[in-house]
Amino acid sequence: MVHLKHLAERLPLGGGGPGLGGSRSERELGGVGLVPARAVQSGLEKMPAPAATYERIVYKNPSEHHYMKICLEFQEHGVGLNVTQFKQLLISALKDLFGEVDAALPLDILTYEEETLSAILRICSSGFVRLWSSLTLLGSYKGKKCAFRVIQVSPFLLALSGNSRELVLD
Amino acid sequence: MATLRRLRQVPRHLLVCEKSNFGDDKSRHRHLVETHYHNYRVSFLIPECGILSKELKSLVMETGAYYFVKNLPLHELITQEFINTFVKEGSCYALSYNTNIDEDNTVALLPNGKLILSLDKDTYEETGLQGHPSRYSGRKIMKFIISIDLMDLSFKLDSKKYERISWSFKEKKPLKFDFLLAWHHTGVGDSAMMSYFSSYGIQEHQPKVAMSTMTELQCPVLQSSELRGKPGAACSPGELLDWLGAVFSNAKLNNESNNFISTYCCPQPSTVVAKACLCTITGFILPEKICLLLEQLCRYFDEPKLAPWVTLSVQGFADSPVSWRENEHGFQKGGEHLYNFVIFNNQDYWLQMAVGANDDCPP
Repeated sequence: MVHLKHLAERLPLGGGGPGLGGSRSERELGGVGLVPARAVQSGLEKMPAPAATYERIVYKNPSEHHYMKICLEFQEHGVGLNVTQFKQLLISALKDLFGEVDAALPLDILTYEEETLSAILRICSSGFVRLWSSLTLLGSYKGKKCAFRVIQVSPFLLALSGNSRELVLD
Repeated sequence: MATLRRLRQVPRHLLVCEKSNFGDDKSRHRHLVETHYHNYRVSFLIPECGILSKELKSLVMETGAYYFVKNLPLHELITQEFINTFVKEGSCYALSYNTNIDEDNTVALLPNGKLILSLDKDTYEETGLQGHPSRYSGRKIMKFIISIDLMDLSFKLDSKKYERISWSFKEKKPLKFDFLLAWHHTGVGDSAMMSYFSSYGIQEHQPKVAMSTMTELQCPVLQSSELRGKPGAACSPGELLDWLGAVFSNAKLNNESNNFISTYCCPQPSTVVAKACLCTITGFILPEKICLLLEQLCRYFDEPKLAPWVTLSVQGFADSPVSWRENEHGFQKGGEHLYNFVIFNNQDYWLQMAVGANDDCPP
């Protein structure tokens, strides 16, 4: 017989406004392990039967990274950049506005499409505002006028896999 | 110093991680799926699977149509006939199309009969109806929410309240919106909505389905009992959520730490699966269909399978005025409100619910 323990951790629903006053919050300490340990797990072996306890954790501002879906637009047509030039452009935008230290912010280009010059970026959360402001103020690349369009931002990468504002009905 | 601090601040966001078992009577999975009303994108990932089973495939292909009506006046949604035909018989969902919740007026109809209007200050004052300011207004209140209970109204059609609402929608401030509509009912007659709104040029749409198979996919190792992850043994729900996002965005998962372009890699510990099946459905998707999909994915493990877990992720409409139940939803820098199930082979599950800045904590 399986005993079902029910540990309810109810939080004040919708209370406190944006600050979420009074609820439990925890800083998530996620991150990639430094040593890539490979664990082989076969699904045929069922997980050891647990006590099926209910557990609920609420994390406030857990994401260490923010994600941005951006697109680079040029005034003239026919300008192309490969992914390395694109990254270099982002770094130089950060450097122009904030200097050498912020140009070294951990910034990753997760996906890049050369045809549309669009990319999904990952930036550490503390550098999010600085990156966005650098993108806003970048006006040209090699003398050609251009602008970054920020299409979507989110602290959750899963949210960037779909954009309901792009739902087009004929 | 305040400027420096502001430069490092990010909009508040919340992630709720729950762990339970589908066999638990008190499990709230059905309730949470059914009360997340406006769903734009549903996707699931099955490791160690090359082809979807017949049942899953038929569920995916028959997700059900949704409808699009242009320039529908708001007073059409409060008529006795509409309420009796659609709101009382089954679950009727509606959401204004192409309206940004942070800029424009937005309207939504919930299956419990509540009509929610999210209006800017001028429109609100012009309608002359009773509402309350948005919870996320800031110092200057620019957004007001009006909530009209259609079920309650339908019993008192000659009441002053109904007369006032009717007068407001027909004469005082006639509002028109393009609507996305969907209706879940148990009876026959799928064309009831088409014929009811035929004078407004209603169109039927099918959700878009995209299926793909990935090979040699790095998957994180998870343990259902370790909701916080276990360093060296199992990954945490937050890491899994980001990994899922990377998979669905087609990001590279095995970059070197000295790579110039990207250093993102799959959270450790991880394992490589030979193949994985991904499926995405986009449109205006009914929560009832998502429940069916969830049940079918639970039944995936009725027979022994290689996969240790499967995931089901659902993303809500960024411009819906509500997230779960009638919790107000807003769009600050992003309008995300999404949830993700991780279904383990022993019927345990994890549920992650994520919301952005202008959102209440998920229930």
